[in-house]
Amino acid sequence: MAIIENETLALPSGDDPAVERPLGVFTRPRNQTGLKNWLTTVDHKKIGIMYGSAAMFFLLIGGLAALLIRIQLATPNNTFLSADAYNRIFTMHGTVMVFLVVMPIGAAFANYLMPLQVGARDVAFPRINAFSFWVFLAGGLMLNTSWFLGGGADGGWFNYAPNNGIIYSPSTGIDFWNMGLMIAGIGSLTGAVNLITTVLNMRAPGMTLMRMPVFVWMTLVTQFLLLFAIPVLTVAQVLLLMDRNFGASFFDVKLGADPLLWQHLFWIFGHPEVYLMILPAFGIVSEVIPAFARKPLFGYPFMVFSGIAIGFMGWGVWAHHMFVSGLGPLTVSGFAFATMFIAVPTGVKVLNWLATLWGGRLTLNTAMLFSIGLVTQFTIGGLSGVSHAIAPWDTQQTDTYYIVAHFHYVLFGGALFGFIAGFYFWWPKVFGYKLNEAHGKFNFWGMVLGFNLTFGPMHILGLQGMPRRMYAYDDAMGFNTWNMVATIGSFILAISTLWVLVNAFISYNRWKAAGRPDPGPDPWDARTLEWSVQSPTPEHNFDYTPVVTDLDDFWHRKFVEDENHRLKRVATGAELAQPGNAEGVHLPAPSYWPIVLAFSLPVIGYGVIFTLWLTIPGIVLMMVALFGWALEPADDPDVEGHHDGDDHEPEGSDGDDHELVGASS
Amino acid sequence: MRKFPKRRLARTGLLVGAVAVLLSACAEDKPLNTFEPRGPKAEAINNLALWIWPIMGVVFVLVVGGGIGLAIKNRVKPEDYDPDDLPEQVHGNPKLEWTWTAVPALILLAITIPTIVLIWDLEEKNEPGELDVMVIGNQWWWEYRYDIDGDGFFEDADGDGEIYGPNGEGGDLDDVEWPLDIALDDDDLAVPNQLVIPTGEQIDLVITSRDVIHSFWIPRLNGKRDAVPGRMNTWSIESPDVGEYTGWCTEFCGLSHAGMRMSVVALEPDDFAQWLADQSEPADIPSATGGEEEALAANGRALFQALCASCHIVNEDPNDPDGVAFTYAKDFTADELASGAAPDLTNFASRAVFAGATYSQYVEVDPDDDNLLEEVGGDGEGYLDLDGSLRFNDAALKRWIKDAPSQKAMDPDNSLGMPAFPQLSEQDLEALVAYLATLD
Repeated sequence: MAIIENETLALPSGDDPAVERPLGVFTRPRNQTGLKNWLTTVDHKKIGIMYGSAAMFFLLIGGLAALLIRIQLATPNNTFLSADAYNRIFTMHGTVMVFLVVMPIGAAFANYLMPLQVGARDVAFPRINAFSFWVFLAGGLMLNTSWFLGGGADGGWFNYAPNNGIIYSPSTGIDFWNMGLMIAGIGSLTGAVNLITTVLNMRAPGMTLMRMPVFVWMTLVTQFLLLFAIPVLTVAQVLLLMDRNFGASFFDVKLGADPLLWQHLFWIFGHPEVYLMILPAFGIVSEVIPAFARKPLFGYPFMVFSGIAIGFMGWGVWAHHMFVSGLGPLTVSGFAFATMFIAVPTGVKVLNWLATLWGGRLTLNTAMLFSIGLVTQFTIGGLSGVSHAIAPWDTQQTDTYYIVAHFHYVLFGGALFGFIAGFYFWWPKVFGYKLNEAHGKFNFWGMVLGFNLTFGPMHILGLQGMPRRMYAYDDAMGFNTWNMVATIGSFILAISTLWVLVNAFISYNRWKAAGRPDPGPDPWDARTLEWSVQSPTPEHNFDYTPVVTDLDDFWHRKFVEDENHRLKRVATGAELAQPGNAEGVHLPAPSYWPIVLAFSLPVIGYGVIFTLWLTIPGIVLMMVALFGWALEPADDPDVEGHHDGDDHEPEGSDGDDHELVGASS
Repeated sequence: MRKFPKRRLARTGLLVGAVAVLLSACAEDKPLNTFEPRGPKAEAINNLALWIWPIMGVVFVLVVGGGIGLAIKNRVKPEDYDPDDLPEQVHGNPKLEWTWTAVPALILLAITIPTIVLIWDLEEKNEPGELDVMVIGNQWWWEYRYDIDGDGFFEDADGDGEIYGPNGEGGDLDDVEWPLDIALDDDDLAVPNQLVIPTGEQIDLVITSRDVIHSFWIPRLNGKRDAVPGRMNTWSIESPDVGEYTGWCTEFCGLSHAGMRMSVVALEPDDFAQWLADQSEPADIPSATGGEEEALAANGRALFQALCASCHIVNEDPNDPDGVAFTYAKDFTADELASGAAPDLTNFASRAVFAGATYSQYVEVDPDDDNLLEEVGGDGEGYLDLDGSLRFNDAALKRWIKDAPSQKAMDPDNSLGMPAFPQLSEQDLEALVAYLATLD
């Protein structure tokens, strides 16, 4: 079942690679710590941490943009920002938050946790995993350099044709949007292939699909959505690239183009995109709620299949973004119908979470509060979502602040609340210390207050007729009060969201001052495999491959049923956990090539935007990196102790004994 | 004990504050409010919404209340936490779960049926022969084309006999040549910025755009419909009463999206017929040998011809010996001027708004205040000037002519919108405004 138990990729010649080094194989990086290690690592855990850190950095940019927007809209006809600056800022806010914050936080959790939850040593293709991260970062940084090179994109994150054309948007902002997202999209695509392969091929013995944690399931669905959605966006962006930079006319109405082509392409990508942003958060709370309710997730099969159903139905609802584009009543009816019913699997999830809370013994710590926060806030976004499906009503709602309220309830109250629940839950596993609970409570209640003050009034503003993307409104329109409330709320929200980082800093210092106490492998008495290794996770993850016999296998090793069908504890997590002291475990070797290849792409991108001559060094660098990568063996021939054959188990292990110590089954 | 009254005070304060905010927010006048529909289509939408709200409310209370309630009820305090004491391990209940799959599905089905009925109702159009209006979006103003002879057809301006109407009578809407012609036949009427309609009848609209996608939305009359270049979208509005309605472009259309507004005025059918007749008249030509006021306007006309006429048309009587056949000096193409055209100013002073309906052309004044009325300068005539309390907003107009990009975001360097004319002196501006005031 598990590839990790297969043989290493030996060189086809059969020669000892240490003796005869193939062409182009340089000495590989071997640093275990320090900057060089981070730049060359292929460890899924470090890559996950880097995804999360990069997302936090972009969150600061996107959040700053949000505050600028709210300052501008605080009072009528405000002159804080010009129309041009406002248009660029709201475009970049949306783009950065979607592509560089919510998506990579999802990727951070998937990267760090999914291999641990399926009992794997790493992902299927570790170097591609590093490449996925670096190429996402390269694209994201390139997109943000537009702030200094002629201004950000000004066409909205949806970037409708023909307003995205060179005539209507002559500055280079949209070119950066195009190139940056195309490059970042490569990372999403390779990441999707990698994680799907990992889930399908690298699960520990005994972990059937229906024994996978819900988070792993949601990761799988999410990656399939990415795999099929990103190429559609890339197609649209290539058409736009050809139009803007090479004089093509895919969106030139004069020559017979239909601008709705862009809308169809964008939303066939864009709607699955919404679900791939929210599903990882659904997976996270599906892990957190059972852990702190101290009972299993209610209706695991329903949770799994509703997630899959959302994944499928998400492809059939895109035109609800286009109800007023003039598609005709038949098309609108069809998509209204489909959109209505995507609420069913989502509703099942919400009700099953509530049923998990029912009869539970709830520990209301920060992680749990954020999870319950998701359930309630997301429901509000779900309800307004159903009201959009009522297409005639949507003709009054669409492109107003009602929509802005809706998707912030889904993406902030939903996805981001779930992610922060995940931060509090898995922080000790990742960093070896718990986040402070008092600061966490402040974090949560501040965010609930700020969030609802910011986005709650937007429902009202929208239905009172305030359109989106307006840099100014008149005093006489009656929007003053709620805009001021929203602006006040946004500052509360910004400060309390920032408190995640403040809390991390404070908690770290207290933990250091207390002599770095070990939180133990299983600080929450939780359910899944990642809690069966030490905290922070050892570099090699598992000393030996776990064998799984149950859903929530780790939990069932701690508790067994007595004669009255009551669960009785037979062991603590700490007693069952792997000691993490295995030595000589074979791990994928670090490599320079992923980061080199990734950063060759923006060079080409700048070349397309500014001067085609610059593409030449970019392409040369890319080719060098590709060949270097291709010629580099998967294994490092220079590492001492390297030996052929089945070296994936620590020395001394017989490779067959997969039983966990203290296992009762 | 000492904490309690403080808390209660704080809570009461919060409550009072919230109610005050709520009341003040309700008290404001909201011209775009979707909760106050006037036209029958907007009312039909609102009526559908009115019975969805309670359903949403019940689900909201059940789920959000359930979540909060369960959290409070099942909470275990840290000091009571026993790691070995587990609640009953319920793994699920398929019957229950099928129920809460099916029940929401049935509720949604019940909502879907009237939804689909209304989708089709909103598309219903008049029989051929009624008044139709073509709505054309431009960066960043709207043009309204009237079908004067009332046969339900728009005549194509290029004179090739191609005709089209909202029901597709006489030709396929999709056969229209792009880009849309700027020039109009003499028989056609094009009015920028303010749409005037008769009360009590449905007006079918053909909505399109000359440049980027815009969206036409008069919230109190109907939902919105996009103006997509290359497409002829149909939609309709109806106002039962006399009144003015405002709207706002609701599809992001570039730099001055916020400066693209709509104004719809509904008049009694007789007044409307009169309005239509007035609009079809050529502009008056002020004479340089007339009174002081008229001589000023004649000055303004000369300036207008020199500075403004390359983009703006004023239709004068070609049979008048002094009349000038205004034509667009440039052959507009999308490559040259993104929006392709500037508003026709033949009946400028008859409208209540200018600059993409961003600014009011008239301001309210106290009719008893003689000083104010003296300042008016222009006669301030207009169909809205019913009770003599409105005056021509010449100050705003002067600011606009002198430096339009400072009044509304525009990018004239890239042919997007109106340029500034810093060379104009105060006298020049007086003259131009005096001329514009004669264009009623």
